Amino acid sequence: MNPQDLLHLFDARALAAVAPLLALSAGLIVLLVAGVFRSLESLRGPIMVASLLVAGWFTATNFGAPPGSVIDGTYLADRASSAWGLLFVVATLLAWLFSQHYYSEAERPFQLEHDVLMLSTPIGMTLMAGAQNLIVFFIGLEILSIPLYALASFRRSRSRSVEAGLKYFLLGAFAAAFFLYGASLLYAATGTLQLQEIAKIGIHGPLALAGVALVMASLFFKVSVFPFHLWVPDVYQGSPTPVTALMATGTKAAAFAFLLNSMFMLPKSAALLVAAIALVTMALGNLGALAQTDVKRMLAYSGVAHAGTVLLVVAGTLAGDPEANGALHAALFYMGAYVFTAAGAFGLLALLERDGERFTSLDALKGLAQRRPVIAAALTLFMLSLGGIPATGGFLGKWMVFSSLVRAGLIWPAAIGALLSVVALGYYLRVVVAMYMQPIAERDAALARGPDSSAAAAIAAAVCAVFVLAMGVLPNLFLDRLI
Amino acid sequence: MDQLTLITFLPLVGALLVLLTPASQEKALRVIALVTTLVVAVLGVRLYLAFDGASESMQFAVDKDWFVLPSSAIAVHYKLGVDGLSILMVALTAVLMPTVILSTWGHIDKRVKEFMVWMLVMQTGMLGVFLATDLVLFYFFWEVSLIPLYFMVGIWGGERRLYATIKFFLYTMAGSLVMLVAVIALIYAFRTSDVTALLERASTLDAHKQAWLFAGFAIAFAIKVPLIPFHTWLADAHTEAPTSGSVVLAGVLLKMGTYGLLRFGIDMFPGAAIEHAPLFMALGAIGIVYGAFLAMAQTDVKRLVACSSVSHLGYVVLGLFALTRSGLSGSILQMVNHGISTGLLFLLIGMIYERRHTRALDQFGGLASTMPLFAFFFVFTVLSSAALPGLNGFVGEYLILLGAFQTSPLWAILGVLGVIFGAVYLLMATRRMLFGPVTHEENKHLSDLNVREVALMLPLVLLAVWIGVRPTPFLDQSRGSLDRLVRKIETARGAHSAALDPAPASNTEVIR
Repeated sequence: MNPQDLLHLFDARALAAVAPLLALSAGLIVLLVAGVFRSLESLRGPIMVASLLVAGWFTATNFGAPPGSVIDGTYLADRASSAWGLLFVVATLLAWLFSQHYYSEAERPFQLEHDVLMLSTPIGMTLMAGAQNLIVFFIGLEILSIPLYALASFRRSRSRSVEAGLKYFLLGAFAAAFFLYGASLLYAATGTLQLQEIAKIGIHGPLALAGVALVMASLFFKVSVFPFHLWVPDVYQGSPTPVTALMATGTKAAAFAFLLNSMFMLPKSAALLVAAIALVTMALGNLGALAQTDVKRMLAYSGVAHAGTVLLVVAGTLAGDPEANGALHAALFYMGAYVFTAAGAFGLLALLERDGERFTSLDALKGLAQRRPVIAAALTLFMLSLGGIPATGGFLGKWMVFSSLVRAGLIWPAAIGALLSVVALGYYLRVVVAMYMQPIAERDAALARGPDSSAAAAIAAAVCAVFVLAMGVLPNLFLDRLI
Repeated sequence: MDQLTLITFLPLVGALLVLLTPASQEKALRVIALVTTLVVAVLGVRLYLAFDGASESMQFAVDKDWFVLPSSAIAVHYKLGVDGLSILMVALTAVLMPTVILSTWGHIDKRVKEFMVWMLVMQTGMLGVFLATDLVLFYFFWEVSLIPLYFMVGIWGGERRLYATIKFFLYTMAGSLVMLVAVIALIYAFRTSDVTALLERASTLDAHKQAWLFAGFAIAFAIKVPLIPFHTWLADAHTEAPTSGSVVLAGVLLKMGTYGLLRFGIDMFPGAAIEHAPLFMALGAIGIVYGAFLAMAQTDVKRLVACSSVSHLGYVVLGLFALTRSGLSGSILQMVNHGISTGLLFLLIGMIYERRHTRALDQFGGLASTMPLFAFFFVFTVLSSAALPGLNGFVGEYLILLGAFQTSPLWAILGVLGVIFGAVYLLMATRRMLFGPVTHEENKHLSDLNVREVALMLPLVLLAVWIGVRPTPFLDQSRGSLDRLVRKIETARGAHSAALDPAPASNTEVIR
């Protein structure tokens, strides 16, 4: 890169394109500086929220503006990447709100580090979604992943949390290596790292194909798709619940954003293979979830199944979905609904969780409707949305994914996928059954009131519930902006 | 606000009111629910009276933009309307509900608030299913109406309620999700979700596609009805459900299946329906006889009635797929009849259960002497259910068998046999419960029906007599729509036989 390109950064459109990244980075620096002074402790929350909101506002203005590409076209802020960007900001904000009052006294002194790490993740995600170049994507991936490794093991006194962090780190390092190796092979075969250039040259020959396979493997790892999904249950269960919420929603969305940008690299003939991988992922995720007695672990498996469902749109596109943006719209809406639903579900678990892991077990939810009716009702709503029942955002997301398949003529995968989602209802219903239809377990009867809830978490849960319902009942509010 | 929106969403407003009332005010909760359903019932009757049965078109239509599916710009509308195929079901749903709510006085005494909320939400869902004339909206209501019953059985049900409710939910969802794929495929085939437009155009699809789409829809509806071999969830759900849940399930929810077969099976894909009619007639007729045999073998009287439901809905399916005028109009009427008589039976069984806390047939006997009023209503209902001439069941079954005979004498004869078996198990159960000596000490001191219990059954009893004596006004309500449907079936039949037998013209060519 020559200095001219740096100057180019200061033209208004280019500046607007990177404005969200700048806002987040500025917030990060202010947060770090403020952290030095003990007297500024109370500013931590406002700085966090303000920088996320400002970043969200910049992203929203990019959404309506013409596409802006920067740094030799390696990063693009267009409608799609801005829509994803909004999701990342929302996911981070929700996870952060749920993390307030979540940690124990012993962990509280490190809340600043926690927030700094959390605020750096949307920077990585935004870079990933806007990346037009394999290296830029890799930088985004690392900016996202490294804070997450630390966050996963944030509860240092718990072996589960440390185990989660270590597992995530080791496997994440492998995935990163896969990506780099794949990118280097692609570079060797095509002579470029720019996605558009690769698209022009096309994927020919075993070298390029091997590169594509390795890049896809690392993406599949990040979105947690078969056969790279095995890390999910342990990591999701062991990590602090708000961090799990962020991993399940933000990370997955960011990886899918890039997967959709780079799926042109897959040969058309791979459509059925991708569909098969997606269906196997759904099957393994759902069957795995069916066997769980811990709700957090169950939601981890369910996250795997949802990743499989979104992957179906890739199969739909490869098989020739006549609508050019069908896959993007379906994935965006599906992940949008999933962000609110999964963040809400994990967040409520975080709210219920106290010391010890027992509180996320299915047993502990028994009779919750009697003790805490509002939380039970909200959790029911999230379960129904995860199950894709109408009047929730999950339904329309599922609808759009299956539409993409049907348009492409993949009727059988659509039908099998539909039946696999019946299996999913089996375990979502179990949560509802426990809360509404089973008596309070004796040892919990004494806890009739439950732990004190935090206002931040309550607001976040309410926002999630409102959005899940709005996306289901008044989808025009969201869809009109997509078209 | 327009009439149909009002009638559909008024129960939901009632549910919100109930939600805002403190749970301790049980009386207020019950009254709110009752008043809401009474207003809906009045609106339903008004709609029924204002409806013009001679017209073919959708009446009182509402059409508003809802949302646009992205990337292919298909506008999904909030669109309601009522025609001859749905008017009776709408009226039944509206009229049955106050009875159901009133019956809960006797058996719902814990978590009253939640129950009323679910009951009212369910009514909105059911009315929506019958009124929606946009396919997406229909599917929306179709799935939403599942959830309340899931909670009703799961919370207020009997001992095996969890098993029953999960089985019910998963069974019906499996069907619904297969239907979802068919719904999507149909919508994208024509790039519209408007039911009226689809009804006009769907038969232009090639036969192969039609057959697949028909199958996708039909499986969901067959599970809901339920048709043999998908019937196993019903007996469990009915047995475990609280009385009011059973009444709504038998009275209205199952009719969503038969209504679906009529509107989205036969009306949407007449060609495929003709092709598959023998299968459905066979399943219907076998269901009639098999259900009757199942009922004969039951020792639990509620389970017996549940099995009789399978048998009675077999008639409806037999009549529908006879694809003749009398079969279709008999089936539409029989949907209402089954709602009335089976609803009454469940109510009566609920009443005796509240007194004796058992439903085992051998625990009763001689109730006629201790509970004469109960005995009167029970015998009346059994006769209505067994299709005694002069009561409602007779008209429907007669028309169905007549229609079926025109198409397939074999299955019609099997159906007639079912009438006899039906009389056998119903009268056997009556004898064992009501007559003979009082063999159990507890039965000697049972109190007879009280004013509330009689009052809540009276509207249904009157309706049963009315339909039995003067069925014409009820049948006339669907005349216009059936004219249209029969014409459509005839056209499709012409095309169908031409396709099967392209013979005459070309044969002569060859001979020359």
